[in-house]
Amino acid sequence: MSVLPDIATVPVREHPRTGTWSSPTLRYVVGRVLSAFGTLVFVVLFNFFLFRVMPGDPISLYTRGRAMDQDQLRALRSQLNAPLGQQLLEYLTNPFAGGVDSIRFNEPVWEVISPRVPATLLLVGTATVIATLVGVWLGIRSGWNRGGRFDKVSTSTTLVLYSMPEFWFGMIILIVFSVQLGWFPVGGLSTPGTDLGTPAGWLDVAWHLVLPVTTLAVIYFAEYSLIMRASILEERSQEYVQTARAKGLMDSVVRRRHAVPNALLPTMTLVFLNLGFVIGGAITIEYVFSIDGLGSLTVVALQGPDVPLLQALFLLFSAAVIVANLVADLLYGWFDPRVRT
Amino acid sequence: MRTTRLLALAAAAALTVGLGATGTAVASGSPSPAPAAAEPVVFTVGMLGDIDSANPFTGIAAESYEIFQLEYPTLTEYASSDFSIVPGLAESWEESADKTTWTYKIRSGVTWSDGTPLTAKDVEYTFNRVLNGEYEQTNYGSYVENIAKVEATDDTTVVFTVSKPSPIMEKLYVYILPQHIWKDIDEKAVTSYKNEGTPKEPTVGGGAFVMVERKVGQYIRMQANDNYYGGRPAVDEIVYRIYKNEDALGQALKAGEIDFAEGLNANVAKSLEGVEGITTVSAVYSGFDEIAFNVGAALDDGTAIGDGNPLLEDVKLRQALQWAVDRQALVDKVLGGGGSAGSTVIPPIYADLHLEPANAFGYDPEKAKALLDDAGYAEGPDGVRVDSEGNELRFRLFSRSDSPTSQKSSEFVKSYFEAVGVAIDLKVVSEDALIEIVGQGNFDMFEWGWVVEPDPNYQLSTFTCANRSYKDGEDIYANLSDSFYCDEEYDSLFEKQSVETDSAARAEIVKQMQQKLYDDSPYLVTFYYDNYEAYRSDRFTGFVPQPDPDGALLFQYGTWSYESIKPVVKAEQGETGAPAASESGVNWPVIIGIGALVVVAGLVGALLARGRNKDIDSDDRE
Repeated sequence: MSVLPDIATVPVREHPRTGTWSSPTLRYVVGRVLSAFGTLVFVVLFNFFLFRVMPGDPISLYTRGRAMDQDQLRALRSQLNAPLGQQLLEYLTNPFAGGVDSIRFNEPVWEVISPRVPATLLLVGTATVIATLVGVWLGIRSGWNRGGRFDKVSTSTTLVLYSMPEFWFGMIILIVFSVQLGWFPVGGLSTPGTDLGTPAGWLDVAWHLVLPVTTLAVIYFAEYSLIMRASILEERSQEYVQTARAKGLMDSVVRRRHAVPNALLPTMTLVFLNLGFVIGGAITIEYVFSIDGLGSLTVVALQGPDVPLLQALFLLFSAAVIVANLVADLLYGWFDPRVRT
Repeated sequence: MRTTRLLALAAAAALTVGLGATGTAVASGSPSPAPAAAEPVVFTVGMLGDIDSANPFTGIAAESYEIFQLEYPTLTEYASSDFSIVPGLAESWEESADKTTWTYKIRSGVTWSDGTPLTAKDVEYTFNRVLNGEYEQTNYGSYVENIAKVEATDDTTVVFTVSKPSPIMEKLYVYILPQHIWKDIDEKAVTSYKNEGTPKEPTVGGGAFVMVERKVGQYIRMQANDNYYGGRPAVDEIVYRIYKNEDALGQALKAGEIDFAEGLNANVAKSLEGVEGITTVSAVYSGFDEIAFNVGAALDDGTAIGDGNPLLEDVKLRQALQWAVDRQALVDKVLGGGGSAGSTVIPPIYADLHLEPANAFGYDPEKAKALLDDAGYAEGPDGVRVDSEGNELRFRLFSRSDSPTSQKSSEFVKSYFEAVGVAIDLKVVSEDALIEIVGQGNFDMFEWGWVVEPDPNYQLSTFTCANRSYKDGEDIYANLSDSFYCDEEYDSLFEKQSVETDSAARAEIVKQMQQKLYDDSPYLVTFYYDNYEAYRSDRFTGFVPQPDPDGALLFQYGTWSYESIKPVVKAEQGETGAPAASESGVNWPVIIGIGALVVVAGLVGALLARGRNKDIDSDDRE
């Protein structure tokens, strides 16, 4: 009764602090969400028209060499040739189906896409987690003791790995570990006939994933490590770090409690940006290691092209990037109060 | 610092060893490919594409047909030796003297894989389903075109009534389906019916194998059918594994992950030659590539369309161009020797039908020039020939961005044509763009090809007047004809062969038609290309080529190899049968070489980095 009303009536400008939600925060969140939504709407429409202006006659191509009469062809074309307004309406009601089946698979596009999502998520997700952990750790180590032996070895190794062409690197890994040493399978996600519901099945999948995940992680971690190193270097020379040192704090405490949290921000942005592309798969890696994910599906859809499938995939990929961006923005706001105001 | 680095190294080492250990542990736990006494014989095929559907009314991919013919019988089959017609599910057949009915005698005592009797009723059901179903006709419409009625008069007799005589009646490649299963899948459900077997519920079929599992995009497993009328195969299980690129396919064969690699390219096949335990096959194939000429684009009603150069309507010009191309050089340089020089549109693989023209166009640029001079195309000031009105012989040649072969061979053809004074503008487009360009008649020449079926009807129909582009509403669509060839005599020969049920008499007509096309030259057939296959000859033996002796071992018209292959006998197994990759096959020099390369790259990187760090450090210390 006594204290609360007083505070409520006094217009105190809240000082934004890490981890609290205040009204500027709310404005920030709403702003971000709205802008993401706007982008999404734009992409949905752009996607629709993009595929309508592409030249070519995929139906004739798919039916080349088959005995089909004109009525059958007309039926196949009817879904692609419907009036634009009607197509747009169907598309907006359900962008992943729009009443149009994949030309190549003869199934609703979502039924073609959905079984391939887990493979891609498993591959790129695992690789991203490993790459982030290893990359960040390496970056901190080498940045904090710049010029040290660890830094020299790690930076040069990282640079070599970073500049390696994916296909070539993957193929080398495959030839050495699968063919010459025979430790890992050449391709696929599981041994034919393995029941994936059992622990042995899971182990089998893990065994199949070792090479592709390692290849992908090696390519990703280099990037994270370089960025992390650069931002640690920048933070190290900041005055607050000197202050912390002057206070007599231990070197490791200064690093862990003061420098790293600030230096993590750019890397975090990068990780989340990349997360958006996770769903797009690592086309090259899926191709080298014969993994049937969204990346290799995109390659298949491009041959033809299978317009309805390609359209749905493009939409899915752009939506994933937009959502990941939004999450990154929101988290950034949470971690870095300066952004919110 | 030193401790950290050691720790890091130790961690990395532990990780590697750990992963390796997991790998080997699982490897030894998983079904080993070397067949032990009681273990099933598994034949693993690696291929580049997945099936598009396991439903025989839906699937159109070559991989799908390979599965269908394993699962379901057909009335007759194509012999492995020479594609002649041999008994399948039917043991005999006969056309009535008045040519109005065909009577098929079905084998008696045959059962489906689930034990249900397989009778003439199933045949009747299948054909009626195709006859009466709109969706069912998409794949099999051409077989039932002339069938008016199908009736099973008893358990082993089926009578087809035909509206007109047709040679296709003895090669009805329609997969016979079990009525007791498919009757429950109505005309609506069939469009989305998957027909994928599971280990508990395999598909019900009457062929040599039935499907027990499919993992989309990964693999398909087929199990031997104990009730197969041709006798149970020696192989217990076939596994099809899907690889995304030819290199991986070749590596999988080397590693022993697969026993057979289908659809290799020339480079990978060459790299496998001479590898111990592997046999490579450059199989003659039913495909050809051609340079097609726009001989006067028009709709099926004769209305001219497109912007093709009218000079190509001159048959003398086209014949002169035929003399300008060294086809054998194309085979050697574009195909790496894997093929033969092209002549007519029915490939020599079909020995009974193929015509080797007596008046063959050889490679003779001088003759080509002389013919062009005679036809009135004199050389112009800049070396490009012109007609009497001064129009340049300058043509657009489209090649396909989807095919490196197409682009290479177009480059060669361009230089051959230019050598005789005909200018070529090369354009590279995607196949789906090209089919539209061709359908509208907006081209002069293009490079493409066909894969020809054992029955020549479809291929020959691509040159009929009726199959030129057509108009649907306001839009013009491509039909089968892509040269717009239209000739009355050819069309009447086409009609004649389509009702000739005597195969020798029909072959004569088909040869006349090839001669006509060869002389009129709407196509310049560049080459017949080979299909590369490779297999583990240390594990399986007994493959049957189609045709004999240098044809394909798998992906045939028929399932000949699957039914006759056997695992290599145990005595030899003891010596060479160990999983090829692990102990014996390790190529240490290669590994050491690669290791050395990585170390060198690392050292160079380290040196560079050190130099750079020094610079930075000195700047920093000021």
